[in-house]
Amino acid sequence: MAFDCVIVGAGPAGMSAAVTLAEHGVRSLVLDRGAKAGGQIYRYAASSPLPDPSKLGPDYMSGAALINAFEACGADHVAGADVWHVGDDGRILYSIDGETRQIETREVLVCPGAIERPMPIPGWTLPGVMTAGAAQVMLKTDAIVAENAVFAGSGPLLYLVVAQYLRLGVKVAGLVDTTPRRNFLQAASAAPAALRSASLLHKGISLLSEIRRAGIPVYRQSVQLKLLGQTRVSGLSFYSNGLQQIEADTVFLHHGVIPNPNMTRALGLDHVWNEDQLAWHVKTDLYGQSSIPYIAVAGDGGAIVGGDGAHIEGRLAALNILMRLERISPETRDRLSRSPVGELRRLSQFRRFIDRLYRPSDALRLPQDEDTPVCRCEDQSVADLRAGFQLGARDPNALKSRTRCGMGPCQGRQCGPIVSDLLANWRGEHVSDVGYYRMRSPQRLLSLEELSRFKTVSSLQPRAREASR
Amino acid sequence: MFRSLRENVPETVQVSVNGHPVQVPARQTVWSALALSGQTVTRKSALSGEDRSAYCTMGVCFECLVEIDGEPNQQACLREVAPGMVIVSQNITEFTMADRDGL
Ligand code: FES
Repeated sequence: MAFDCVIVGAGPAGMSAAVTLAEHGVRSLVLDRGAKAGGQIYRYAASSPLPDPSKLGPDYMSGAALINAFEACGADHVAGADVWHVGDDGRILYSIDGETRQIETREVLVCPGAIERPMPIPGWTLPGVMTAGAAQVMLKTDAIVAENAVFAGSGPLLYLVVAQYLRLGVKVAGLVDTTPRRNFLQAASAAPAALRSASLLHKGISLLSEIRRAGIPVYRQSVQLKLLGQTRVSGLSFYSNGLQQIEADTVFLHHGVIPNPNMTRALGLDHVWNEDQLAWHVKTDLYGQSSIPYIAVAGDGGAIVGGDGAHIEGRLAALNILMRLERISPETRDRLSRSPVGELRRLSQFRRFIDRLYRPSDALRLPQDEDTPVCRCEDQSVADLRAGFQLGARDPNALKSRTRCGMGPCQGRQCGPIVSDLLANWRGEHVSDVGYYRMRSPQRLLSLEELSRFKTVSSLQPRAREASR
Repeated sequence: MFRSLRENVPETVQVSVNGHPVQVPARQTVWSALALSGQTVTRKSALSGEDRSAYCTMGVCFECLVEIDGEPNQQACLREVAPGMVIVSQNITEFTMADRDGL
């Protein structure tokens, strides 16, 4: 027996899709790698270890409502499930507690979320260098903070974490802002449309003034960032009104997020380059339906839309799936979609403004120094990759087989965007002509022992399933 | 320096980090146990053998690979601690692998 719909990922998109499906009588199976539903943005929002989680802000707290609705909707949620294969035959393989299980489904909704854009500055592999996303994860999951850390880069998430730290009374050694001055001009043209989302704009501005009021050192238009230290990070040097240096044993980097590409790539879905977001997007229709009709994508894993956008996209994808399952008519789908579609349009105008304002500079996307590691797993520097290119490896896959870049356990998640950008630069062509790594299953490290045995699960009775173990 | 903002921890477990016993809140991640015990080196880089440590803490980068209860290549940021768990930074590089494989 096949499931009607399997949702991969229990972030805002996956949760809201499951809720919408349940409203129309379809009980979905939701596979999620996390210990609890919520995804990255609403991680532990309904069960925070912090004494006062409201310090993380109203957006985070609003996640609790969605998590509660999801948990009450009757969807079958499997936590700790690492999906490592989604076949174009409706077969899904996932690993849980070191064991692989197989299920079949009619419809698949993939919600893999975002990852942070790699920021390959000199020293970015030193212990103590982490991402701003990591600061958030540690805070939300285990209430852990780094005292006297430096935050460097640009973008809403970076400012949010700094503000959260300050509200919690954690000392911050400095904010090194890399947003180029010209971005403000470029963003200005998108501002009138963004003003229709005045509350979102206001939220962003108040974050920045909150940081300013706290009186921590803030350096604007910073360039030439270099992490200091031999065996672990000891600080950051950069130019902002002259050469600056801050000492710190932890430095958090961030300059935006991109869709987590591995699952949608391994599925062979069509992708398109988006110049506004400087990232590959999954090609979908309004409802998230991909180039393979029974596979839909919603949330940041398709294109960056943010938590609110993901919530709406999950609902739209579910409405389309309900139509495909013949639970609702096309007319009903269209009628129920009208207001979410309008809201998504409004959000996307605001997103365009944010994309321009926080567009990462080329100097931070492309490593400027020949010795800077590009592939962290296999230790391949710019110079190593250039040598491979000069020997004739002109596209990402050829470069991968020549240099081993992208062959390590992260499967190119960190080096992939950098490699495509570097090759585009060296070839003097656009990155959309260069392409991206070809991906395959399994999408995670698997032991042979695990591969040798797996279970087929085809019923929606979780307890019966446990019993058959 | 990492520190915890938790105020009351209802339940703790004891694990061993590189041979040192540490008491940590139940169900926190293995990476958090490493971070709070100040032993933040997880693995060695493949070629240069330099120290590495957790980078993304959300399962993306695989920098946090450690040995847990004798099994190598475990993502410290995704695994939860369990009573008596033995966590060890791992020393696998291209060269140690070659040694092991007799190459
Ligand atoms: S720290 Fe990146 S995968 Fe664990």
